[in-house]
Amino acid sequence: MDVIEIKNLTKTYGKARGISNISFNVEEGEIFGFIGPNGAGKSTTIRILLSLIYPDSGSAAIFGKDCIQFAPEIKKNIGYLPSEVFYYDNMKVKELLNYSASFYKKDCNKRMKELADIMDLDLNKKIDDLSLGNKKKVGIVQGLLHEPKLIILDEPTSGLDPLMQQNFFELLKEENKKGATILFSSHILSEVQRLCNRVAIIKEGKIVTVEKISNLTENTYKKFKVETKAPLDATYFQISGVHNLEVKGNVTSFIFKGNINDVMKKIAGVEIMNLWIEEPDLEEIFMHYYEKEA
Amino acid sequence: MTELLKDMPKSLRVVFGFNQLDLSKVSGYFGVLFIYLLLMATIHATMLGATVIAKEERDKTYEFLFTKPVSRSIIVTAKLLAALTNIIIFNLVTMASSMMLLAKYSHGEAVNDEIARLMAAMFILQLLFMVIGSALAAVKKKSKKAASLATGILVFTYFLSVAIDLNDRLTGLKYFTPFKYFEAKNVMYGGGFAAVYVVISVVLIAALTTVTYVFYKNRDLNV
Repeated sequence: MDVIEIKNLTKTYGKARGISNISFNVEEGEIFGFIGPNGAGKSTTIRILLSLIYPDSGSAAIFGKDCIQFAPEIKKNIGYLPSEVFYYDNMKVKELLNYSASFYKKDCNKRMKELADIMDLDLNKKIDDLSLGNKKKVGIVQGLLHEPKLIILDEPTSGLDPLMQQNFFELLKEENKKGATILFSSHILSEVQRLCNRVAIIKEGKIVTVEKISNLTENTYKKFKVETKAPLDATYFQISGVHNLEVKGNVTSFIFKGNINDVMKKIAGVEIMNLWIEEPDLEEIFMHYYEKEA
Repeated sequence: MTELLKDMPKSLRVVFGFNQLDLSKVSGYFGVLFIYLLLMATIHATMLGATVIAKEERDKTYEFLFTKPVSRSIIVTAKLLAALTNIIIFNLVTMASSMMLLAKYSHGEAVNDEIARLMAAMFILQLLFMVIGSALAAVKKKSKKAASLATGILVFTYFLSVAIDLNDRLTGLKYFTPFKYFEAKNVMYGGGFAAVYVVISVVLIAALTTVTYVFYKNRDLNV
């Protein structure tokens, strides 16, 4: 079953911002990455899913129900963590969390304490006095305390130190094992790579591709770095399947997709000092997608 | 005292609100004072109506509140009820303190009925300006600016009411300023509220409340 179905969603703001004709599905039980640079339309899409804003055309459904028409009902089972968290300043953390819990008709007290423990959050502080990272922790606890079936995260790691990030990711994996579906938006590829099963890449309001992370990183792409005795002509490795070709002095690097023998023959044709062949990380593949479109 | 006031030029009397009120009586004195109480109460109501709606976006807390499993209509209802409670408290405190203070100086003149009637008038105008504020906050794209715009409307209509008093040819405009709806002299001495203004007020309040709900429901929440 698809937890999120997005069909031809379009939303334009005054200037160039917005999204156009976005479609993708998120299946039940997966951790789905939503990736793109700032301003590409990630938050716009998420805000439409949460019916904070309304689309110009197209539709989105969550748990099989239209996300505008059934908004209050759907939101019972959604936990949301925005990229920047803002709360009512003169409230204590505990008060805010209790207020948040009061919207869901179940007892969230036990879970709240567990989460606060994991995230090392002091419940008795005033929100006003919290640092950015600690506010983010409040956001995490607040988003998860009602044990939602769908967790929507918009750039969730900003402000968290690496240790807390680790705890947070473990927490997400646990929730996922218990059956929660996660939509994880980010511009940091390594974290998406670490966590997600599938990923949608968005650029300037359009979906560039939706693929399995494993498809993106394994099998298809190889990263080459060749150090030669004499500087190479920039066009030497210009064969089909080569992307992101870069020549820096004696070092030539590129990403290759295709028959590996072709590129090995080219390498055999020059005197090499050293050779690295690696799995490219998502970032490099991502850059490749962006260049192709540009 | 009365002679002295009568010798003042009409424009001055109008601007200070002395016109047609007998300042030698405590009720007349309160009638003059009333316009200032009314101004304060309506400014309070306007700001309250506008900010209660606009504040989630202003403070960026809307991503918290509006992702909870409640509809926008329920949230608006709760907000308007909270503002209404504030307005009622403001009104009751004004009424109680006015009655207590005037009792000391009334020399037996019965003024409590008049005060109660004026406060009822004030309540209608408080409600009206509250929904002017909330409707503007719901309609305007930048809802933060709703409070200042709504207060601007209030100040404008107030000066319009003064201008009408100064210039008889403007009398026709009296329907456009709520400050002419329930004037102290009419409410106290003229036997209460004119039906036409009560009807206008009720219709405006109902319409602006509807505008608040409809526009807020369809609004893109953004900063």
